Amino acid sequence: MTRRILALVPLGDAAIADPFAAVAAATDTATRHGLHSGAMLLGRPGYIDDAAMLAAQEGAAEITLVTHPGLDDPPLIEQMLALFTNLLGGEQEPLLLILPGGVIGEELAARLAARLDAVPLGRCSALALDGAAVTAHRPAYGGSAELVLTTEAPRCIAVLRRPAEPPAATTEPAVTQRMLDIALPSDTPRPTVQPAAADRPRRVDAARLVVSGGRGMGGPEGFAQLRELATLLDAATGASLPAVDAGWAGVSQQVGQSGAFVAPDLYLAVAMSGTPQHLAGIARRSRIAAINADPEADIFRVAEIGLAAPWQEVLPRLIERMRDD
Amino acid sequence: MEVIVLIAGVVDPKWRLERLGLRNGTEQPDESGLPRRLSPFDEAALETALKLQEADPSVRVTVAVPGDAGSDVLLRAAMALRPHRAFRFDTAGAPPWDPFAMARMLGAAVDAAGLPDLVLAGREFGDGDDGVLLPLLAEMRGWSFCGQAHGLALADGAMVARRMRGPREEVIRLPSPALVSVTNDRSNRLRHPLMKNVVLTRRAAIEVVAMPCDEKGRTLHACSLTVVPPAQRGAGSCRMLEGPLDAQVAEFAAYLRGWRDGAVR
Repeated sequence: MTRRILALVPLGDAAIADPFAAVAAATDTATRHGLHSGAMLLGRPGYIDDAAMLAAQEGAAEITLVTHPGLDDPPLIEQMLALFTNLLGGEQEPLLLILPGGVIGEELAARLAARLDAVPLGRCSALALDGAAVTAHRPAYGGSAELVLTTEAPRCIAVLRRPAEPPAATTEPAVTQRMLDIALPSDTPRPTVQPAAADRPRRVDAARLVVSGGRGMGGPEGFAQLRELATLLDAATGASLPAVDAGWAGVSQQVGQSGAFVAPDLYLAVAMSGTPQHLAGIARRSRIAAINADPEADIFRVAEIGLAAPWQEVLPRLIERMRDD
Repeated sequence: MEVIVLIAGVVDPKWRLERLGLRNGTEQPDESGLPRRLSPFDEAALETALKLQEADPSVRVTVAVPGDAGSDVLLRAAMALRPHRAFRFDTAGAPPWDPFAMARMLGAAVDAAGLPDLVLAGREFGDGDDGVLLPLLAEMRGWSFCGQAHGLALADGAMVARRMRGPREEVIRLPSPALVSVTNDRSNRLRHPLMKNVVLTRRAAIEVVAMPCDEKGRTLHACSLTVVPPAQRGAGSCRMLEGPLDAQVAEFAAYLRGWRDGAVR
């Protein structure tokens, strides 16, 4: 049985940090099984102009550009659900649908599973196909364990991150355009966007450098110093779950299995132990530098450079040196 | 207003997992001997419900916890905060990683609690869920859904949730019934119970609700569950700086400067 592997890509919402990661992941999965991947790109007309080219760069062989004149900016999840369901509901071919990581991709995957009668596989680290069977590898227990699941259901939906190796681009993809005019849900509540506070932290999931603090910071004072260092490094400030829980950093700064997934060039971990739950939110390709008072801390097992001393002694000196540049 | 809080619990994240697997002949995790506690997300959901109750005395809070007697420690922790009702329900063999089976079971538990205006749960429901279960449950039940809210309040009788969506903070009014998954935030850290309530709860009887047998066929199966070693990164060997602290800091600063200025890749 040949299963169609299709990335579903919502466009035009800045909350989805890397929408085309789903296309790269679909291509990676398809290529490993000698198949081609497809991509269904959904957005307002202005957002799909360059989308086919970007999907081809991620290796999609069949690209469908879908738009609807009534889409909000950004599109509401209910609108995306209605359109994807309309397009895929009558599909007879077995499907493996792949959505991008993050809160919107994950909600879409779960709710589409209910509408399409598909098996939701969750946030997977790898997928394998063998005849009618799909095998999914998925982190569990906060990233401390791996669960292997299998299903022969004709429709499956997974969320996947960008693969470590970039896929080969497609030079001549088959591109089709669909302008749908179905009725969109009209009773969906529209969120209002709060005005951004002047001191709102930089976005952690799109930063090239991240300076992050953990439980060992001991209070908000340490985070003030982290923010100062981050400013000097042109970096975003992140935090572990316990630090967010304690109120030393905002919920949008939380990195880890249950927070943002970040892929900076360098991740500076300060006063954090390096739990699997936290490390699961940092891309494998990111390099890690660590400062921790405990030379036996697990974070040093994954860092490439380490400074074993209390942050209270290190950060002021480091800030002073960076200021002198 | 009826508020139902679904609490899953997790294996204590501070516990170093060394062995884990499926029980022989089943697809259930073998967690025997592992300490369980409320997750930060369970706590955030519970605190959110308590805040709603404080703001409006007509709010009735029911807490429901899945599992066997091993989950009573979680239920008693919630009972010490004096919800109107708290009960445990058996999972009828539903494996925690089958979202459809779990959603049917949670839906039945909500039915047992009454007709809800609001269902609250942490953004991930236990160790086997990665955020799929709650939006799936809402979709199957036709409830409105708000994922990863960090705040929830009543305004003119309406439920108003706050959530982060990438760079923006959104405020959304939710039609009832609604399911809101809650993420941890400074504003929803779980309060400490009064000691007298903790003592009273230790002796209190536990209400157990039997779930109807789930006769739907299952299409998702667990093959294995194993502890994984920490991810290997780079060469796996950390260069620890040595010498006087000022010299270490100077070297570390030079290293960071290289990354900032793009000299290192």
